[in-house]
Amino acid sequence: MAWQGNPDVPGIRSIHQAGELSRPLAAAPAPQTEWTDETLMLAIAARDEVAFSVLYDRYVDLVYSTVARMLGRDSALAEDVAQEIFVRLWQRPETFVAERGRFLSWLMSVTRNRAVDELRSRGRRWRRETGSGSGPDEPINQVPADDADDPLATAQLREEQRLVRAALRDLPADQRRALNLAYFGGLTQLEIAAELHEPLGTVKTRIRLGMLKLRRALADRV
Amino acid sequence: MAGEHLSPEQADEYAIGSLEPGLARIIALHIVECPPCRSLVHDAEDVAAALALSTPLRRSPPGLKQRVMVKAGLQRPGIFRRLAFVGPAAAGIAAVTVAIMALTGMVSLRGQVNDLRRQNSDLQAQVSTALAERTEIAGISQRLSAAEATTRQLGQQGIADRELLLAMLSPKSVVAEVYATSSQQNAVGRLIWSPQQKTVFFVADNLGPIPGTQTYQLWVSENGQYSSLGTFRPDASGFARYSATVPEGMSGYDTAVVTLEPAGGASQRSGPSIFAADLSSFHSGLGR
Repeated sequence: MAWQGNPDVPGIRSIHQAGELSRPLAAAPAPQTEWTDETLMLAIAARDEVAFSVLYDRYVDLVYSTVARMLGRDSALAEDVAQEIFVRLWQRPETFVAERGRFLSWLMSVTRNRAVDELRSRGRRWRRETGSGSGPDEPINQVPADDADDPLATAQLREEQRLVRAALRDLPADQRRALNLAYFGGLTQLEIAAELHEPLGTVKTRIRLGMLKLRRALADRV
Repeated sequence: MAGEHLSPEQADEYAIGSLEPGLARIIALHIVECPPCRSLVHDAEDVAAALALSTPLRRSPPGLKQRVMVKAGLQRPGIFRRLAFVGPAAAGIAAVTVAIMALTGMVSLRGQVNDLRRQNSDLQAQVSTALAERTEIAGISQRLSAAEATTRQLGQQGIADRELLLAMLSPKSVVAEVYATSSQQNAVGRLIWSPQQKTVFFVADNLGPIPGTQTYQLWVSENGQYSSLGTFRPDASGFARYSATVPEGMSGYDTAVVTLEPAGGASQRSGPSIFAADLSSFHSGLGR
């Protein structure tokens, strides 16, 4: 199987399959910045350093922003965690299995889980002191839209962000807050109930309805 | 979990990370083996991951990429390159060298701390998995023990049924009719003596329910002296079967009664009688 620029590969099915792929042979392969995330992961599994660099550039701001939002004012810690996520992505690309879902969903799931581990290992007191857990909603040092080496992927990401933000804006504030505390704060339903001084059932309902509405709103995304 | 599969609500709660860690671990184990639930969870994770996209983008620190590349083994540390530009002034070199060494030490230390943190995280995940597996195995062992106990109980009941059947079929067995007293007129019973098994069987039906503080007790009497053959309780339907070995035989006794006694049985007959049986039919040379 020859590598054809930007092959329409749904993703890595196994690390062995990735190992069988050869380097591009075509005269004018598409630049790697035009490759899909899944194709880049396939190349990374075959130890393609350029592919790793492209994928890093594509998502580092998103990963760093998410971790920074979750970990509050400790920007050095956010940097460490983001570094660790990308180093592990390079070292263990086989942990992503394309058949199980989109790369972006997997990456954000890995990012959140790693940040939650940090949050939980540092305890509530640290969370209060650093203001971590829910994070500011206002933009800080936002990345300019036209400042990207990877314009197509960046444009897609921006469009998806616009859809998600619009969907979240349409949610009632209490549902949005419950979702944010769970996802960005790493709080369980019981902890959210305690934080908001609300019954557990109310918190469960808000999360359920919030996810339901978000799912409907995002059903038609690219 | 509802039945054997996750509900969409549970999948959402799992994906957004709002479940208690114990339940989340159980679901994580479940979806490994259950493709339909795994698909449900991945769909929910797709929605949950979209939440991350709502975060306003911040510029990542400029030195981060180099750190990642160095840590991943794709680049040599930039610190060596920077050393080449240090000026010739000895004092400056010394100062910068000391500073660089301190910085390198800090970077190295930070790297080690990160490594340790990651190892700790991996270890915790392994421990959690092992604990979950151990809990599951303990549950299976418990269910197995319960199933073995039920099997043993059924086996013992089968043996008792066979012995009773043999006693009823044997031409040498003697059956005494048992009369219910006025307090439980609907109750019926039989007393069967099997000289071959040296066992007396008592079978009764329609017995009234009794509180946990009381028990039925079977007695036999000889010239007004009562000896206990043991206690028994009926099942929920009012049926009771009881057997006792009588090595000396039954021909010496003239009467059998069943009384209601305190739980655990009485050393001497004291409670009201529920059944009475005339054992004179046992005196035909079948006894001791």
